[in-house]
Amino acid sequence: MSAAHPDLAVLQDGPLPIDQGSRVFYWLAACVATTALLTGASLVVGTSSFETSLGWLFAPDAQSAVILWQIRLPRTVGAWSAGALLGLAGAIAQGLFRNPLAEPYLLGTASGAALGVTLCLLGADASIGALAWTAKLGVTGAACIGACAAIALTILLSRGVLQTANLLLSGIVVAFLLSAVTSLLLLAKPDLWRSMQSFLLGSTGFLSWNGAALLGIVLGICVLPSILLSRGLDALSLGEDTAQSLGLSLPMLRLTLLAVLSLATAAAVGQVGIVGFVGLVAPHLVRETITVNHRQLLIGAALCGGALLQAADLVSRWIIHPAELPVGAVTAVVGGIYLVVLLWRRSRHD
Amino acid sequence: MTDRARAFAGRPTAASPTTVRPAALSADGLTLGYGSRTVLQDITFDIQSGTWTAIVGPNGSGKSTLLRALAGLATPRAGTIALRGRPLGQWSRRERARELAWLAQDSGTTNLTAAEVVGLGRFAHSGWLSSRKAEDDAAMRRAMLATGSLPWAARRVTTLSGGERQRVLLARVLAVEAPVLLLDEPTTHLDPPHQQDIARILRDQAHGCGVCVVSAIHDLSLALTADRLIVLGTAGLIGHGTVKEALNGDWLSTAFRTHVDIVELAGVYLWRPALAGATSSSTETP
Amino acid sequence: MSSSIGNRRRGQGFIAALLSFGLALAAHASIVRDDLGRDVRFAEPPRRIITLLPSITETVCALGACDRLVATDRYSDWPVAVRALPKAGGLDDAQVELIVSLKPDLVILSRSQRITDRLADLGIASFALETDRYSDIEHNIDVLGQILGTSERAAELNDSIAARVRAIGDAARAARAGEGPRVYFEVDRAPYAAGPTSFIGELLARVGARNIVTADLGAFPKLNPEYVVRYEPDVIFVSATDAPSLAERPGWDKLRAVKEHRFCSFPPEIRDTLVRPGPRVADGMQAIADCLARVAP
Repeated sequence: MSAAHPDLAVLQDGPLPIDQGSRVFYWLAACVATTALLTGASLVVGTSSFETSLGWLFAPDAQSAVILWQIRLPRTVGAWSAGALLGLAGAIAQGLFRNPLAEPYLLGTASGAALGVTLCLLGADASIGALAWTAKLGVTGAACIGACAAIALTILLSRGVLQTANLLLSGIVVAFLLSAVTSLLLLAKPDLWRSMQSFLLGSTGFLSWNGAALLGIVLGICVLPSILLSRGLDALSLGEDTAQSLGLSLPMLRLTLLAVLSLATAAAVGQVGIVGFVGLVAPHLVRETITVNHRQLLIGAALCGGALLQAADLVSRWIIHPAELPVGAVTAVVGGIYLVVLLWRRSRHD
Repeated sequence: MTDRARAFAGRPTAASPTTVRPAALSADGLTLGYGSRTVLQDITFDIQSGTWTAIVGPNGSGKSTLLRALAGLATPRAGTIALRGRPLGQWSRRERARELAWLAQDSGTTNLTAAEVVGLGRFAHSGWLSSRKAEDDAAMRRAMLATGSLPWAARRVTTLSGGERQRVLLARVLAVEAPVLLLDEPTTHLDPPHQQDIARILRDQAHGCGVCVVSAIHDLSLALTADRLIVLGTAGLIGHGTVKEALNGDWLSTAFRTHVDIVELAGVYLWRPALAGATSSSTETP
Repeated sequence: MSSSIGNRRRGQGFIAALLSFGLALAAHASIVRDDLGRDVRFAEPPRRIITLLPSITETVCALGACDRLVATDRYSDWPVAVRALPKAGGLDDAQVELIVSLKPDLVILSRSQRITDRLADLGIASFALETDRYSDIEHNIDVLGQILGTSERAAELNDSIAARVRAIGDAARAARAGEGPRVYFEVDRAPYAAGPTSFIGELLARVGARNIVTADLGAFPKLNPEYVVRYEPDVIFVSATDAPSLAERPGWDKLRAVKEHRFCSFPPEIRDTLVRPGPRVADGMQAIADCLARVAP
């Protein structure tokens, strides 16, 4: 052993100097505080002015109570849950594929959901029988089913989940294919373009308590296995061979995490449409701010994603109130700016 | 030296004072290949615990492939590999992870801190929930002390230099405290003093702790400090035995298809590069 | 000198004939300015016409020149006769080849169509008309009457439309006491609403309905759904497919209009009259007025 380690004697006893738990704790606390702030803000932002909304809070009547507690609150809670799901899914995707550019839609989920919605809208116009079906299913259900079908198709095409590269390629192929089919269908019936646009650009406008509850339940279902498997993702980051030699079952890890990823993305897309960038930016934001292992990354990305989508929802209904921007447009602009800043900072470093 | 390692090495422990001693790793009629290529054909050898075996040979001779097969990461085309007398396939994944520790040639990029990387070495013992017991901590500390990587325990691996990162990865392997260590080029990126440290660690593990160490090493002089050699050539296995046997049989020259000049200096074998004369591409062997 | 006198007489007659012919020509030749600001010259009324807007197709037919149409866009479907005509594409993807092969004298299209330049390059006369507002209806009927040479018929048509519209508005006002009902017209489920500055909005105003959407929000704003809950319309205009799902929207189930099913949905033919500012405008207005009379509180 080389003798040139002066601090060795000091480090002989005591706990290993690795816990930066306090830093992580403060960051998570900051996330929670931001969420609370945004929730409060979303109660006073909408079609009424700030003063009016404040007045409602303290002296509510029947109508304003409906607006505050049936419309604004579930909307912001639902937006947070959807954002958390997308952030979690993005972090899982980036860990599973060991690619910092991975995001929740990389297995073709977005295109599948869009196709599902198109078919649903087409069906609604086609016949009375189809209308009954599609009314029962709703755009939400159709989007969910479409997303899941796309993922199933991707896995089928790549013949299993063992080869990551195959999965990614299949995802791209499926995305293109399903988009093409959607475009062809929309060409045949151009009246649907406007409805599709609102789905494709994302919308938190109709999030009800039912929707928010559903998202919350899915979040609960997804968080538990993710946390349990997070150490596996850590091991995977050392390389597949190393992970296997440590006793990790790669197929089990991949299948479970893919299932979580699919469920989370499908649920989010069903409720709020296709909102981009949240799944990509949330894990990056966490990594840039604190050093984390995957367990902290998954939790942090969920919290961060939730706050991001909440903020985007807030902006979308404040900026041109009482009209509204599609929330996906807001996330695209904000996400795009963030990525540009990131790139600029990176190039300055090098 | 832990009781487990003792028991593994067949040395007497408190529980069992006298034991039989099966080979730690043995290959029988092993045929390996990847894709359409067959790299090694029908090879048989034994590796005992308490020894350090170095696998040497030119590029493409199958060093990595052999190591991966021994670790259970690649399925052989034919033949069997036995770990402590039992075929590899019969060990459960978890048991095997506790018996074999593997160091890959190139590691992935990871955002973890050095201590977290070393902590992953305890995965086979502590499992999915990373509740760190005192035993885990002690193992990690021992491993980091042995590799001199304790000072940067809290730093992200990506901020370390190549050599520092390699030592962290080696600490990860040592933290497993497995009776068999399989290392693919453990001295990559390291400057001579640290290469020397690694060699000492490996010798210590083998002789002092009774661990079975198998490593693929490029550097001939370093490889010759091991106890035994497995020499691979482009044609397959040239021979396996002690270093002396290898030198007497001039296996290295056969493997590298050119005269490899080994000299002995103060009890240590060194490779002397010939700077004048025909190049290695000439097929003549003087 | 009798031959020279005869010659002079023949010369005068010839000049007289020439003059009268020229006058006749001048009487038919007209220069009309289109909505792109171009002055288009018509030596005589066009005989072969292609229209690329459904509202223009309807106007041309209402002016009695249906037989002069050789092709329309794919959305034109009134009157029934035009459905048999060849279709030259939609609003954005008009088929140049088909148009050229039909050798039209005139192609009438909207201001924003990209094909205009292409047609000019190929030497085909085109005429651009804007069809967005109520005021465009009267203007377009006049202009088309001028072009087609049926100006009297155009004036009659405009008078009859104006009279009908006035009658409907008066009847609606007379039928109710006080102010008109508050309405919300949903164009799409996003939700996109029809504002007062849109054509639909103008029709609603003419029957005396009060649009909950204000003019500053634009013609078709994408609203915050909360807005409808806040401004409590008495009647909701929505498509038949979307009507059942209105109660599921958060907060909307508390609206009186939703609870009491005060919805107005129109079949496709009527819906067309509401988005094509053309000669059937009175039909659309009548449908709106009838529904309001039936459904408003």
